[in-house]
Amino acid sequence: MKSLFCAFLAALLVLLAPAAGPAEASVPAEKGAYSRLEDLNGKKIGVQTGTSFAEMVQKRLPDATVEFYNTKADLVAALTGHKVEAFVVDEPVARLMEAENGRITYLPEYLEEYTFGIVFAKSEAGYALRAEFNEFLSGLPKDALQNLAIKWFTEEEKNQTMTDPASLPAKKGVIRVATESGYAPFEFMRNGKVVGYDMDLIAMFCESRGYGMEIVDMNFDGVLPAVQTAKCDLAAAGISITPERAESVAFSDPVYTGGTVLALLTENRSAPGGIIDRKGLSFWQDIQASFNKTFIREGRWKLFLEGIGNTLLITLLSILFGTVLGFLVFMACRRGNPVANAVSGFVMWLVQGTPMVVLLMVLYYVVFGSIGISGLAVAVIGFTLTFGTTVFGLLKMGVGTVDRGQYEAACALGHSDRHTFFRIILPQAVPHILPAYQSEIVSLIKTTAIVGYIAVLDLTRMGDIVRSRTYEAFFPLIAVTVIYFLLEGLFGFAVSRIRIRTNPRKRRHSRLLKGVNTHD
Amino acid sequence: MIKIEHLRKEYPGTTPLSDVSAEIRDGDVISVIGPSGTGKSTLLRCINQLEKPTAGRIWLDDTEITSPQCDLCRVRRRMGMVFQGFNLFGHLNVIENIMLSPVDLLGTGRQEAYDRGMELLRLVGLAEKAMSWPDELSGGQKQRIAIARALAMDPEILLFDEPTSALDPTMVGEVESVIRDLAKSGKTMLVVTHEMNFARSISNRVFYMDEGGIYEEGTPEEIFGHPRRENTRRFIRRLKVLELKIESRNYDFVDMAEQIRRYCERNRIPLKTSARIQLVFEETVEHLLRPTLNPPKIYAAAEYAEETGLAEWEFRYSGPRRDLREDGDRLPLSVVEGTTVRTEYSWQEGDELPNRLLCTLLST
Repeated sequence: MKSLFCAFLAALLVLLAPAAGPAEASVPAEKGAYSRLEDLNGKKIGVQTGTSFAEMVQKRLPDATVEFYNTKADLVAALTGHKVEAFVVDEPVARLMEAENGRITYLPEYLEEYTFGIVFAKSEAGYALRAEFNEFLSGLPKDALQNLAIKWFTEEEKNQTMTDPASLPAKKGVIRVATESGYAPFEFMRNGKVVGYDMDLIAMFCESRGYGMEIVDMNFDGVLPAVQTAKCDLAAAGISITPERAESVAFSDPVYTGGTVLALLTENRSAPGGIIDRKGLSFWQDIQASFNKTFIREGRWKLFLEGIGNTLLITLLSILFGTVLGFLVFMACRRGNPVANAVSGFVMWLVQGTPMVVLLMVLYYVVFGSIGISGLAVAVIGFTLTFGTTVFGLLKMGVGTVDRGQYEAACALGHSDRHTFFRIILPQAVPHILPAYQSEIVSLIKTTAIVGYIAVLDLTRMGDIVRSRTYEAFFPLIAVTVIYFLLEGLFGFAVSRIRIRTNPRKRRHSRLLKGVNTHD
Repeated sequence: MIKIEHLRKEYPGTTPLSDVSAEIRDGDVISVIGPSGTGKSTLLRCINQLEKPTAGRIWLDDTEITSPQCDLCRVRRRMGMVFQGFNLFGHLNVIENIMLSPVDLLGTGRQEAYDRGMELLRLVGLAEKAMSWPDELSGGQKQRIAIARALAMDPEILLFDEPTSALDPTMVGEVESVIRDLAKSGKTMLVVTHEMNFARSISNRVFYMDEGGIYEEGTPEEIFGHPRRENTRRFIRRLKVLELKIESRNYDFVDMAEQIRRYCERNRIPLKTSARIQLVFEETVEHLLRPTLNPPKIYAAAEYAEETGLAEWEFRYSGPRRDLREDGDRLPLSVVEGTTVRTEYSWQEGDELPNRLLCTLLST
């Protein structure tokens, strides 16, 4: 017992170590090796998936290897974990990262200049809205955009205010804005609201034109598809204007012109950088600071709570509906109805063969593409389908373990088929099914972590959002992991209670012969 | 009570029942015997419609149970069935197994069902096991519980499908005695069994099944004592006579010994006698005949007469005229002589196996 505890403690320390202090990872670069862009030629450079930065890297640093990461938080984690030597990021973001995380700095030299645009669909409605937006843009005072940049990139937090989108009167309808809130200072979460340069600009547009505004937060990968499939009316997510993208979507006039830079570890830069010196902090102070940043500042615990709520909601509803669905389909197929079997066989083959992410995206963008259905509902539908097929399979397996003689004996006594199934077969199958059912639930909880792809703010997504604000690689990750463990434990406990209750042998003696006087 | 008319059951590839007609009267206790694979169990399972007959009709009193309009559940409540594999419900304890059907199907009150269940458990001698779980019981106990469970529905007829075949030999007796008591009480029963002594002693009618139907029917005395038709005769003879053929020096000795052991068990031959049967076979075939014949061609037949308690071995073998008793090895010969009361040698000129040795064994 004691050794087990020690092993657990050791494992925990290994997990925490990188979060706590500067990690002495296996491939340390030479300290202070980089001062110019060219120094990084031939190194590994991180790029965020869905951005246009990979081409820039190849143009400027032809010998560099490009590695793709999903979020900025992942890029930070990769950098501090020495997976990459540097990563590409917009200058305003890099500046913010340097301020937030003392271990990160950047080379001020631009990799490339770029312009950001607002994205519209290549449809009649999309072009009309774009025209309206461009008109609004050209009508702005000359230094309006510059002031906006100063406000969001350099000013203190208390000055960074903007109109609350919810307060905008929807006189001409509501504009649905696709964005990815992990991209401060362009768009980021603060006190449970998405704010930033882009959001401020769109809010100004909506306000001036009499639109309501609804922000739909999703993974960056999903932003362009959301506009293309008319899930959203426009996308504002720090999207740089490239000819390739312009083939599939319509860009507004540039709303921001800036440059990309390479972010790298402070220790690797020849000229010392970094604003905040954290070297003096002890292990516990460090954890405390991380905790503070992750949970307390800007009320971020509320994000986690909301994430937990969504994860729980998806899991619970999927378990409930999936179990009912699986059971109903099983009942339809039980008597060997060829039509029911063929249909369910085909759907199962389809659902089980499709990766969960793909299934969710197909449901969200294709199947329910034209219906205004929330990502949460699509997630519940998707997981209900997969969990339903799992339950179906479990039932088939469990009922198969019950000896055929049990059917025959019940039939021969005169029990109807239905009665036999519910009174004789199912009670004996359930104890076989429940252990597997329990582990399927645990795996379901874990699988829900991908719903960020269809604009659902679940626990993992919230963790990513927080990471993208704090630029802390590990603490939010570990926090999220711990919460998942707690949720899994909770569900596991619930199912094990059911296991005890449904085990015929564990019935209390007083319940065995209820209402019968056994003293004769 | 039950009338079966031209019943036929086909499976893809085989037809266990091609044409069966029979009538079961109230109070009949019928044993169904015959070689394996002749549709004995299928007949039973057709009667309560666990198997759908391919053709033919069955009546229970005035109800035609083979008609599609028939409420099978209702009919099955009137026919109890006891299976080879017991099939007690694993999630219910003993008394619950018995109470389930009366409570759920007949609307009997729980108290009443319990009292009746305990009464039945006392009848099969297992009242103290009321709160046990099926897997805590021995095979014989399980089968007795299964009988009590069938009786709890107060069926008009009981169908037994090889009730002792899955049992350890030591447990056959307890189950047979419960069935025997039931038979005495006048319950209508149909029993598929391989236990011939049991079949003979409990039933008033015997169905011998072969060639896709009831090949011969009669009283136990007729079927076991004086079978009229060829297959029945051979079957009955095979019950009483063990025939073995040896055609190679490397014959399977272990298998033959096992066949002899099973034969002795089946015929309830006393231990001492069965040891002698085994011994005489071993000495004669293995030590006296096998080394001298090349290749050996031996036919051996053992027969046991229950009435007199006498067992006999007949050996026929190939080769020139040769009386073993004169030129055989002394040691095995003395063993054979020590276990027999009489030996007799004869020569059948022109026969394939002309030498014939008859040994009558010592009885206990």
